Amino acid sequence: MSRTPGEPRERTLGAVPRPRSSRTSAPGRARGRTAGTGRPLLPSLVALAAVAALCLLGLVFLAARFAGTVRAFFGEAALALVLAAATLVLGYWVLRQIRPVREPDTAASLTAAAFGLTAAAGAAVVANGALGSLWAAVLGLDLAGVWGPSLTAPLNEELLKLAGIVLVAVAFPYALRVPVDGFVLGALVGLGFEVTENAVSAMNAVVEAGGVDGAAAVVRSAAVRVALTGLASHWTMSAVAGTAVGLLAASAWRPGARRAAGAAGLVLLAMAMHGLLDSPLPGGAAGTAVKIAVNFLTAAAVYLVVRHTHRRRVRASLAAQGEDLGMRRSDAEALATRRGRRSALRRIARPERPAVQERQGAMLATAEDHAAGSAS
Amino acid sequence: MARTTGPGTRARDLWAPLIAAGAVVALLLAAWPLIGALLPGLQQVRAGEPITVGGRGDYRASLSLPQEGWLLDTDTSRAGRIYRFHRGPVELTLLPVAPVSTPASDLMAMWEGMRRIARAGDHTARLDDPEVISTEEGVEGLSGNFHSRTEQGAAVVYPSPDGVFAVEMTLAGEHATTADLTAVADVLQSVSFTREEAR
Repeated sequence: MSRTPGEPRERTLGAVPRPRSSRTSAPGRARGRTAGTGRPLLPSLVALAAVAALCLLGLVFLAARFAGTVRAFFGEAALALVLAAATLVLGYWVLRQIRPVREPDTAASLTAAAFGLTAAAGAAVVANGALGSLWAAVLGLDLAGVWGPSLTAPLNEELLKLAGIVLVAVAFPYALRVPVDGFVLGALVGLGFEVTENAVSAMNAVVEAGGVDGAAAVVRSAAVRVALTGLASHWTMSAVAGTAVGLLAASAWRPGARRAAGAAGLVLLAMAMHGLLDSPLPGGAAGTAVKIAVNFLTAAAVYLVVRHTHRRRVRASLAAQGEDLGMRRSDAEALATRRGRRSALRRIARPERPAVQERQGAMLATAEDHAAGSAS
Repeated sequence: MARTTGPGTRARDLWAPLIAAGAVVALLLAAWPLIGALLPGLQQVRAGEPITVGGRGDYRASLSLPQEGWLLDTDTSRAGRIYRFHRGPVELTLLPVAPVSTPASDLMAMWEGMRRIARAGDHTARLDDPEVISTEEGVEGLSGNFHSRTEQGAAVVYPSPDGVFAVEMTLAGEHATTADLTAVADVLQSVSFTREEAR
């Protein structure tokens, strides 16, 4: 809705007045562009260097490990990579959208996905191989074949992905401050891991098919792992474990006993979800459906709790800021959603939109700082 | 890059999680191989003892090693996927495979697929044109010479009677002589297929 000249500025719907003061803390994150200290923290630089080194090592290891298979089955490998890339792009977009209020920091998101794709996946190949051999020696080959995955993956893969989420949290402390940040960035680490695992499984499927009908083997493997078990795979487990990291980050990594227990519980829950998915029990198609439903609903329940909590805190801060600015409470609270902000912008004259959008951003930054402060 | 941190987070608060994350990665990469090194990676297999190596459809495949002295390599073997046995310098690798739509009884297609799998493991590996062979129980398959820059030996493929899956084997060894391989060549005919109901 456009404002005609001379008409008083609409303060109830679209226009967000320039903040004069705030009862909350000053904007601190503002998408990582505003400065607290103005300098990166040393541990963050070290964490970023560690992530880069581990990603490079993981990539080189995976490339060396699968070079022979790719060379012998080049067409199948290209198809697997195309399907993996499509999964990655779609998953990345969806998982960033589920963060309430606004998307997570782009650099942190890309780093999280890259860690899962390369560092965690490469390390898991090594660790799983070694632990798998250990189970085979202790349990025997047949029993290890049945129970090995559900004993190995929850331990190795969940801890490796969790380490990645923690490194991302330390490298980008402004991007992972509350549990919902941990959920989303954790899900992105899990997504990256899942995409690499899908590609590896597709190539294994080609070999297990005897090197015959390779394209069909790749498509079948991808269909099962994306359309079926993809709903309940690594992204769900790492989202739950990431929520634990968010809990700890919110307390400035100095949790009380209750928060530490909650975080430990979430990590154990993520491991249990992984154990369930890889378990031979319950078996059959119905069993698989049950496992998928349990994992997906567990992640969804955690998400709804952290989303509700974060939005409530952001809304409270927006309402307080709006009151200072003379905005209606409902209009201020509406800025907590992407749709609410778009709707507010549509109601004002086009030339004023960039300035109003900037003010919306400032209010949101303050509100998310407030939410992070409330979570501590 | 980081500009500000979470509420009340100080630089020194970030060292503990950073060190813990690094320690977890290092531990997982080092601990299992170290513990594994303390355990035996080879298990003795008794001659004539049937080892189930896979199955699809109505049939199961098993392998009975004719000689004493074979060892199952539990480090690199995975149930239902790959089996590796050693006997001195000789190495036997067995893969149960199941094509998606091509019947495993299409032996030339299976042989071509096996050629590509061999090249995946070693780009110098080659399989010669095959000849017909049969197991001790009369299941017909294909057999041919296997050679690479470092090894030579033989390969076989046998389809299950219903054509749902096949068993592929390679007998070779980097330090194995022709005499070593000849002494155990009958292992390549020691696969048997058993109908599920009959078990």
